[in-house]
Amino acid sequence: MAPPGQAQRSPSPSQPSGKGEVSDLKAQLRQLAGSRAPGVDDSKRDLFKKVISYMTVGIDVSSVFGEMVMCSATSDIVLKKMCYLYVGNYAKGNPDLALLTINFLQRDCKDEDPMIRGLALRSLCSLRVANLVEYLVGPLGSGLRDGNSYVRTVAVIGILKLYHISAVTCIDADFPAMLKRLMLNDPDTQVIANCLAALQEIWTLEASNSEEASREREALLSKPLIYYFLNRIKEFSEWAQSLVLELVAKYVPSDNNEIFDIMNLLEDRLQHANGAVVLATIKVFLQLTLSMNDVHQQVYERIKAPLLTLVSSGSPEQSYAVLSHLHLLVMRAPILFSSDYKHFYCQYNEPFYVKKLKLEMLTAVANESNTYEIVTELCEYAANVDIPMARESIRAVGKIALQQYDVNAIVDRLLQFLEMEKDYVTAETLVLVKDLLRKYPQWSQDCIAVVGNISSKNVQEPKAKAALIWMLGEYSQDMHDAPYILESLIENWEDEHSSEVRLHLLTAVMKCFFKRPPETQKALGDALAAGLADFHQDVHDRALFYYRLLQYNVTVAERVVNPPKQAVSVFADTQSSEIKDRIFDEFNSLSVVYQKPSYMFTDKEHRGPFEFSDELGNLSIGADAADTVVPAHQVDANDKDLLLSTSETEKEDGRALSSNGSAYSAPLYDAPASVPASQIQSDLVNLTSGLSGHVPAASLAIDDLLGLGLSVTPAPAPSPPSLSLNPKAVLDPGTFQQKWRQLPISLTQ
Amino acid sequence: MPVAASAIYFLNLRGDVLINRLYRDDVGGNMVDAFRMHIMQTKELGTCPVRQIGGCSFFYMRISNVYIVIVVSSNANVACAFKFVVEAVSLFKSYFGGSFDEDAIRNNFVLIYELLDEIMDFGYPQNLSPEILKLYITQEGVRSPFSSKPSDKPVPNATLQVTGAVGWRREGLAYKKNEVFLDIVESVNLLMSSKGSVLRCDVTGKILMKCFLSGMPDLKLGLNDKIGLEKESQIKSRPIKSGKTIELDDVTFHQCVNLTRFNSEKTVSFVPPDGEFELMKYRITEGVNLPFRVLPTIKELGRTRMEVNVKVKSVFGPKMFALGVVIKVPVPKQTAKTSFQVTSGRAKYNAAIDCLVWKIRKFPGQTEPTMSAEVELISTMGDKKSWTRPPIQMEFQVPMFTASGLRVRFLKVWEKSGYNTVEWVRYITKAGSYEIRC
Repeated sequence: MAPPGQAQRSPSPSQPSGKGEVSDLKAQLRQLAGSRAPGVDDSKRDLFKKVISYMTVGIDVSSVFGEMVMCSATSDIVLKKMCYLYVGNYAKGNPDLALLTINFLQRDCKDEDPMIRGLALRSLCSLRVANLVEYLVGPLGSGLRDGNSYVRTVAVIGILKLYHISAVTCIDADFPAMLKRLMLNDPDTQVIANCLAALQEIWTLEASNSEEASREREALLSKPLIYYFLNRIKEFSEWAQSLVLELVAKYVPSDNNEIFDIMNLLEDRLQHANGAVVLATIKVFLQLTLSMNDVHQQVYERIKAPLLTLVSSGSPEQSYAVLSHLHLLVMRAPILFSSDYKHFYCQYNEPFYVKKLKLEMLTAVANESNTYEIVTELCEYAANVDIPMARESIRAVGKIALQQYDVNAIVDRLLQFLEMEKDYVTAETLVLVKDLLRKYPQWSQDCIAVVGNISSKNVQEPKAKAALIWMLGEYSQDMHDAPYILESLIENWEDEHSSEVRLHLLTAVMKCFFKRPPETQKALGDALAAGLADFHQDVHDRALFYYRLLQYNVTVAERVVNPPKQAVSVFADTQSSEIKDRIFDEFNSLSVVYQKPSYMFTDKEHRGPFEFSDELGNLSIGADAADTVVPAHQVDANDKDLLLSTSETEKEDGRALSSNGSAYSAPLYDAPASVPASQIQSDLVNLTSGLSGHVPAASLAIDDLLGLGLSVTPAPAPSPPSLSLNPKAVLDPGTFQQKWRQLPISLTQ
Repeated sequence: MPVAASAIYFLNLRGDVLINRLYRDDVGGNMVDAFRMHIMQTKELGTCPVRQIGGCSFFYMRISNVYIVIVVSSNANVACAFKFVVEAVSLFKSYFGGSFDEDAIRNNFVLIYELLDEIMDFGYPQNLSPEILKLYITQEGVRSPFSSKPSDKPVPNATLQVTGAVGWRREGLAYKKNEVFLDIVESVNLLMSSKGSVLRCDVTGKILMKCFLSGMPDLKLGLNDKIGLEKESQIKSRPIKSGKTIELDDVTFHQCVNLTRFNSEKTVSFVPPDGEFELMKYRITEGVNLPFRVLPTIKELGRTRMEVNVKVKSVFGPKMFALGVVIKVPVPKQTAKTSFQVTSGRAKYNAAIDCLVWKIRKFPGQTEPTMSAEVELISTMGDKKSWTRPPIQMEFQVPMFTASGLRVRFLKVWEKSGYNTVEWVRYITKAGSYEIRC
């Protein structure tokens, strides 16, 4: 599919525009085509080189197709190869001209030199022109029977290519069966390996529409065949070995003895220098022992050393690939790796992507015995000049704190971070302290003392600011000037760009209000007014919700906003175990690197917003498209698993709400009369007139109280009967919005 | 399906295409543009070697001034793909005579296309062994070996080697002088805390071999590793000779080594490829002899002055010496003036890397030279940020020393013609990442 698309691209300034040169070339080639003079091959070579180099940089040289074909009558193998390459590249775009090449390619397929036979056959199959497939069948058939193994290896892959051009032709010529025969009988292992690769592809693709194909695919996993491969595994090349091992990993042995036999046989593959072979072997071991728990554990022990060796040798890219797999295993069985934690210490010069994986593993393997060392090491990184690294390290410390029982020392460390007075360190730490407090409320005294000293002006990042505000609201009774800090923040409402922060501000000021009403009263009024006027839908809605809630019943409002909280014992896991198992099944593939199962990135519907690949010809690469790419590995992506985002707190609030849902209805309806409510209200307000428990009156009072100065048109539906939660939305979002807008709250201004 | 690649691109640092080779139709032709747009021209470059853009995945590697990019659209085998690139590059290097960069690619692009055709077909790696490929793809490439000298090499034999089982050695080699060179190259990785305790330390070693041997020789290598020695004493039923034995954490071998025999008899026996190759790799974490101890003291005197004292102790034998020792001591960016006193070698301030660089060309064992330096800093206003001290880094080479203590006990060569061979063994220990926090 390559050249036509490329040709339309305007060549970059550094490259020749090509127009004039191409026509020059055309003329020169034409001259040489018929010539038989000595030395003509050399000049042809130079010209061919030029053509290929133009082709490489993306200049369309398809116009010289005819001349190239004419010049191809030569015995010079280098010329032939260049010609084949050219033809393979342009035939698809010029099907008519491709017909011209068939003749000489077919002739070359019968050459006495096996090298030329192979090359010609490969090029013939690379033409990729659907209406020429009839010319392929003959040469492929004889290629499979060729006496030379080189030609056979080419022919086998050629059949796979034919299948992709025209599946029907391939099946009709009965090629799969021939491949199968070849796979079982050929003396050459590369031929066998290619047969296996081709058959796997063909039968997997065929399986959906042919029962026979799916049966054949199953047959690839039959005992005799697997044994046939296993017994010869040492004769295969390293690449073919990983292919075979991939197949073996899918095999289901009939009993335990068989499992041990296979593992014994493959044991030495773990010592292979090729990382792909080692990983494939590991996959076989892991898959075979899935049902035997203790052996499975032993496998982990056994594969540790080879994996660690692979990580420390080779280029950073290679070790990243291996490290991703190690990461997966560590995540599955952290205990087994807890004594190897030192291997995951980062070196100063390692690339960030390696360090990040290592940090995650350090986090996972932390337990009672090694936490101290690991946290000490992580603190070193936190002081690192490399800011993303420092951030990740602080997060890692936080994660460890959240998974430990004894967090004493860690809390101290975190608080020390706050004293480092670096903005990004403070920001990350605040977020962590917030999470920590949700899990271990008993630490609030210590933390609050330190957090109270942080000036909100030094905190700019939305997440950190939100965390600080959350703490101000939650612990307003312990923080002396919480209401005043909140007040000053509300004064700057207009300058606050993040809706997340504004949402938090609303909630915090509500919480504060219930704890220290006189001091917060004004701030709450301001916040609600600002919130109702906010252009952000969520902020507006939340402000409205609070307002109505207060209007409706202050007690209920307090129960909603400030319910007695239970410490969060376990933070939700971001990935379901089902997904994790799928990734594990796809060991030794991209899934592990992306940390998601393959259907998520190969199936179209899961790919996310940025869509191309198939219609690449008209790929529009606007600068803005860059923003919409789904980044597989972004630093921020990690935020999710720390669960620090607002959605989390909202969830919590939501839960509080729903748990109060029952109390919301009938039984409490007469609550206003009950003692605490009236107490609060009278505490709040020196509201005179009969707090008779008459709701509209109370709401009126609140309006005054908050200084909202609303016209006295209370909400029209102040008589909520029994509220029951409707599990399904009755209204579609559009109508809902419509209705919502009509409600009389335009009173704000 | 473990396809390794749908397309391969070679790009220079500007993003110009040097080579493109499409293997499968499942990725489009404009992948280079996508790569340029979404990886090269963004901050993403270098943040992760595997990226997904749309439905395609990009694996890329930078080698000197060239990016090699692999594009796939299926759930490919990443480890295999990277290994393939590494192997391909070493193949190209062996063709170009050692260097692999933009110029070499531009000068040899026809050859690269030829090779790319041979080493991968439709996304499946084929034969990447330079010894065999050189038989039929030559730099001059005038004739195929089959047609040019039919009498010289019988066709079936040659092609058997092209694809056959003993893929790494061809028959009929003859040398006047039969020689084997064995290099044991170890690199020590160290991470030491500021308090002087070893946080992490390991040795990755490799045994490199250069063979100039006639015929089809069988080689057997004996090392002083624990398992091998124990096994041997078992077989010969005699006690282990005294002397140091070492424990290898993990070993990997070149494909020529008979792994079955290694597992049963614990001996390394093999039929070597001709020329240079890496016989084995190993890793050791226990009982590492660190060749150098670094004792830094860095004092910050007020806001504008620093005092740096570094003492380096060599802890190998007094008769040995290290070469090319470089100690890099990081200093703050705002360094203005430095003055040095060294008892050996030379020191200077390198502003480009913000380091004091102390070089000692020849460093004898059991000595401890020191460097004391005074660093004056430009005072900066209102910059509260305290300086985070990066670790001190060290480079060195110590010939005839192995940090692991590994020794070659014997190397036996057996060939049916029974010639004599000359064996040469060298040891060298280099610094891997040798970091000392201060």
